[in-house]
Amino acid sequence: MSNFFIASGVVLCLFMLLALYRTIFGPTIIDRMMGANIIGTKTTVLLIIIGTIYERVDMFVDIALAYAMLNFIVTIGASRYFAHHKNIRAEGYGVLNHTPAKGQIND
Amino acid sequence: MIWQIDIMILTLIVICGLFAISVKDLLGAAVVFGAYSFLMCLLWTEMGAVDVAFTEAAVGAGVSTVLFFAAVHRSSRQVKARVSGAMLYKGLGLLASGLMGGVLFYASTDFPDWADPASPASSHLSPHFITQTIAETSVPNIVTSVLADYRGFDTMFETAVVLTAGLAVLIILRLGGCRTAGPIREKNAAIQAAYKDSIIRFVTRMVVPFMQLFALYVVAHGHHSPGGGFQGGVILGASFILLAISYDLKMALNRINEKAALLLANTGVLIYGGIGFLCLLLGANFLDYSILHRILPATDEIAARSHAMLGVEIGVALTVMVIVMIIYNNIVSNGSYEKGL
Amino acid sequence: MINTLTIALMIAGLFFFLATTVGVLRFPDFYTRMHAAGKGDTLSSLLILVGLALYNLHLLSAGNILVTIKILFILMFIFLASPTATHAIIDAGYESGIKPWANENNREGQDDLAD
Repeated sequence: MSNFFIASGVVLCLFMLLALYRTIFGPTIIDRMMGANIIGTKTTVLLIIIGTIYERVDMFVDIALAYAMLNFIVTIGASRYFAHHKNIRAEGYGVLNHTPAKGQIND
Repeated sequence: MIWQIDIMILTLIVICGLFAISVKDLLGAAVVFGAYSFLMCLLWTEMGAVDVAFTEAAVGAGVSTVLFFAAVHRSSRQVKARVSGAMLYKGLGLLASGLMGGVLFYASTDFPDWADPASPASSHLSPHFITQTIAETSVPNIVTSVLADYRGFDTMFETAVVLTAGLAVLIILRLGGCRTAGPIREKNAAIQAAYKDSIIRFVTRMVVPFMQLFALYVVAHGHHSPGGGFQGGVILGASFILLAISYDLKMALNRINEKAALLLANTGVLIYGGIGFLCLLLGANFLDYSILHRILPATDEIAARSHAMLGVEIGVALTVMVIVMIIYNNIVSNGSYEKGL
Repeated sequence: MINTLTIALMIAGLFFFLATTVGVLRFPDFYTRMHAAGKGDTLSSLLILVGLALYNLHLLSAGNILVTIKILFILMFIFLASPTATHAIIDAGYESGIKPWANENNREGQDDLAD
């Protein structure tokens, strides 16, 4: 049974490698976010599989739960970036070069 | 050590890491770096270091990635196109890292074998910790007992360093000066007002109480399972960041305003140092918890150490939670606390 | 018997994850890829986690039942949070103006391919 879990862990990592292709070569930035989300979710599953192989699942369950929560936060934070910046491409360098008028606080 | 999964994870990590430093789009680099941190945590877990993996998951993969997003939101998304003399700097950097890496490789041949029981790290203090922890402190988690009791000074100064980092961010970003940098974003004001995603708000409202309860469980259960003060504090801070992300910054600031936040951060370090000072007042050394059995009811010397460890973990969790919130609030709003991510 | 059930559930989960990966690699457009990723990812995680939670019940002690309930908590959290994250990503893509893929004959919208 342990061999089956090791094999399924390796197969899961292999599929994550294929999803990593989308993270690296995704044409848009949002494809990369999707790839990172997939990697995060599958890492949660892989944690429990490793715990089952070591036969001490009770140690690894807490980490997996924290992982799932933080994966959710990172994805929501990344997608909220696009509520403010409306372009998919990266804008040119020099956004900070705008100097405001005296006494005006920009945000 | 499962070598099959090890090789696969290492391949993924190397590919992620190589790509994260070579892409010109900073937001893409931050996203891939988040994935790299997730995989790094998996590597720690697979080696059996669960507390380190927990801290890496909470701090590295969670909060650091969101702070990168906040920083990219505040600055620009493109690396500077051309720096004069770039090839010289890159060549110097390559030379320096090549030399350093070569020296490290050469030195690593001198290491003892992995998990060798006769190595110096495993033959002086480690057997004492492994065999005597429950007899001396009654805490099964050896990592927590080493962090909070046997090496309590280090953890106290780490908490103080966390507090100092938060204060540094406050001084740089909040006290005038840089608040005038940044482009005008009038159109974003309309976007901010109009952005009300009810699905995300609903799920956040349901998730945040459980997240905070889970964080308190992690702090309190650190004696028996992977966890402790740092991890629980970071998850608590991350729950406030989630509130700030899905609503707006005002919602998170209404929960804990700045004055209360600074008070709580200092209280955390005060709790830690205060427990040590209490041990001094009672006649023992600083941070020698066993003397506290005189004031805690119905404990002996061993249980007093366990209870005092819980006390210092609570102090650490308080400080870390508040500092994570402060750093996020200041970076994402450039010190003015008006608009968030 | 528990072993057989666990193996069956995990193979089903891995099959759905293979389907997810093939979809993510082969679909022509961001929206369709996200469709495959969001649904397939959640379902495969759920199946694998149910299998592992069942496998834990070999010895029925109080500790093991607690661990199984915790794995079911993770399951519920992923069931709630992963579709929300998918929704957030697609919303971000829509707000940024990515146009859906159209057939070769009537290309009314171009996919915004750029980096």
